[in-house]
Amino acid sequence: MAHTRRQFLKTAVGAAAASGALSFPMVSRAQQKKLTVWWNRGYYKEEDEAMLKIADEFRKGKNVDLDISFTIQEDLLKKIHSAMAARRGPDVAFCFYNDWEVMPKYAWEGKLVETTDVINELKPRYIEKFLPVAHVYDNVAKKRAYYGVPIECQTMHIHYWRDLVKDAGMNDDPAKIPMDWNGYWDFWRKAQEALRKKDPTKYGKVYGLGMTESSSATDTIYNFEMALLSFGGTIFSEDGKVVADQGANRDAIVKTLKFFADMFNSGYVPPDTLNWSDGDNNANFHSKSIVMTPNPSVSIPAHQFFNNPDNYFNKSATIEWPDGPDGKKPTYMVAVKTILIPKDSTNKDVPLAKDFIKFVLEPNRFGEYIKGANGRWFPAFKDVAADPFFAKGQAGKGGAVDPHLPTVTRIYLERTTRVFEHYKNPANSQIYAENVWGKAMSRTNVDKWPADKAADEAIGRIKTIVAQWR
Amino acid sequence: MANGLVSANPRGLIARSVTAAADVLSPRSRNLQGLLFSLPLILLFLAFVVYPLYFVVTQALDRYTYEVLFSDPIYVQTVVNTLIYVGIAVNLKLFLALLLSGLLDDDSRSTRFLSAIFLLPWAIPVLPGILSVRWMMSSQWGILNLITEDLGLGTHHWLASRWTAMTALILFHIWKYLPFWTVILLAARRGIPRQLYEAASIDGADTLQTFRYVSLPLLAGIYLICSLLSMVFTMGDFTNVWLMTGGAPGDSTHVLATLAYRYTFKVGKIDWGVGVFATALPVTLLFIFVLIKKIR
Repeated sequence: MAHTRRQFLKTAVGAAAASGALSFPMVSRAQQKKLTVWWNRGYYKEEDEAMLKIADEFRKGKNVDLDISFTIQEDLLKKIHSAMAARRGPDVAFCFYNDWEVMPKYAWEGKLVETTDVINELKPRYIEKFLPVAHVYDNVAKKRAYYGVPIECQTMHIHYWRDLVKDAGMNDDPAKIPMDWNGYWDFWRKAQEALRKKDPTKYGKVYGLGMTESSSATDTIYNFEMALLSFGGTIFSEDGKVVADQGANRDAIVKTLKFFADMFNSGYVPPDTLNWSDGDNNANFHSKSIVMTPNPSVSIPAHQFFNNPDNYFNKSATIEWPDGPDGKKPTYMVAVKTILIPKDSTNKDVPLAKDFIKFVLEPNRFGEYIKGANGRWFPAFKDVAADPFFAKGQAGKGGAVDPHLPTVTRIYLERTTRVFEHYKNPANSQIYAENVWGKAMSRTNVDKWPADKAADEAIGRIKTIVAQWR
Repeated sequence: MANGLVSANPRGLIARSVTAAADVLSPRSRNLQGLLFSLPLILLFLAFVVYPLYFVVTQALDRYTYEVLFSDPIYVQTVVNTLIYVGIAVNLKLFLALLLSGLLDDDSRSTRFLSAIFLLPWAIPVLPGILSVRWMMSSQWGILNLITEDLGLGTHHWLASRWTAMTALILFHIWKYLPFWTVILLAARRGIPRQLYEAASIDGADTLQTFRYVSLPLLAGIYLICSLLSMVFTMGDFTNVWLMTGGAPGDSTHVLATLAYRYTFKVGKIDWGVGVFATALPVTLLFIFVLIKKIR
């Protein structure tokens, strides 16, 4: 059918008029304040539901056109990097990678809004040892200040199968596991040997130590940093200078790498650990192909709680990292998850963005949100941490005691902790992103380099990264 | 000559351009309609081709990016890996495709059945294919180690060593894409006039001589085009490498595409990611230039 120019124009004008009429309600909505929030998708639906409820309360209570979206952390990190490059970020961004990879870099580049006022207002509520994570340097404003709002933490825990240990003929009581450095690691080696000896068909492929040693998993970084602290080493000085090459620190790095190499090469760690991603130690633990695994969140017991409460309450337990070779209690590395406000945001309404953050962090509201994570995160606030949930954990049938969460809470509140040191030097973001220590472990495990050679290469790389940082 | 005219009379050229533009934009002009209807496509082209290209070029011009790249030992290792991956995988694959196309150049029912079976790897999506291979190569539970253990050869950490992981990548690439290129070369073989084979046969040529003096010269052009095309595709291959090894162990199996991804999205340095591609661009452009020239 022929379509004349006049008909075409009529149709076009009609369509334009219709779209104008339909978009009329938008005019009244445009008078509302707008806020765009990018939030890390939770591990459990209760977390997301709690955040949606908070967003809805804010929307209605403050008459704000709030647009909140949830994205899994790997995708959200890419989305934030892309948005920052395009200078079109959200008004509020909460990603689990913010503290390591986003905040130090973009604060340094002067692309984040200072949040010192929010921190000062919330300071009486904060567990203050978690705050330094957000006290970073802005190289444009040439000052150090708060450029994020810390909200929740994760640290290192060790999970193990009590039933496997019992099957190995050893005492499975968490209180009876030796906590001295050598005794602790030997305990898991002995468990492997005993299991394999007892039933080669059933346990022939079971490994005692589910230690992640790959260059792609962030778990490797936690493992390395925890062991490095145990050996008394550090990478950065208090003022952010690289001190890894100084005598005692280099020695500690060499000892740490040797510790992981010996563990791997002696056959007590699954060989595929060199290719593990962050979820692989979880998967291996759930399939009982490893007796224990260090994990920097309580995702493993949380999974058991939902899928097999008997495993959660009776067949597995969570214990601490062992005392150091010097006999001292361990110092725990803590990652503190942080909310950010990009300067180049969609609506550029900083006061509203800060209002939203404070609204989310009100004790009852935030308590409900963080408990939705079933103990995976520990709150950065004293009042929320005082909730009996964190001290007692989950309630089991017939009054079964939680063998996981009370240990986690004890670590945060009673042990010495140290936040990851990206705040000292933003180049640390790249050191972690490149997983320099995972690479060093592959040098000792795959290329069979001696630990001191691998340590020197890693230290050299760190110095290059810091020198090139701009 | 044209340049001479332009430089001799630039005002005339401008006047002619203005007149041409006015003709196009005249309300009565049919060209205006054409332009308006093409406008969405032009805008899309500007947004999704011209702007990204401009972005890449501006990002890639920073000398500092290359100082960083060349000082990173992983970058140098990655260039070597890419050369090995592209060089061995593409050439071995196409050589095998050339041989197999001869085997399948037959109309019998069994050959047609065999061809259908042979095409299966190409039809299988990449993800389940790679996951299966990864599972087979698992040090703990994989069938490969089960076989080597039964043969008394012990266990091997297939994906936990750079060279066995690279070999796995190359073998998977060949397994996956060999059928496609075999079909292309088979089609080319079918285009060779039968009379040439009959003439060779009458002249007493044996199978090898027929291949050398009839098939090979007539397939050489398409073989080169296939090689260049496959090299361009493989140079940018991200999926296979990322899913198979993710660059592990110890970032020793990266290729340029996965390293660019690592820099861009894991390290957060878009300019470095772009820089990685920029260093590969001369080689890719050379391939494309030769390809276009060959097609003409």
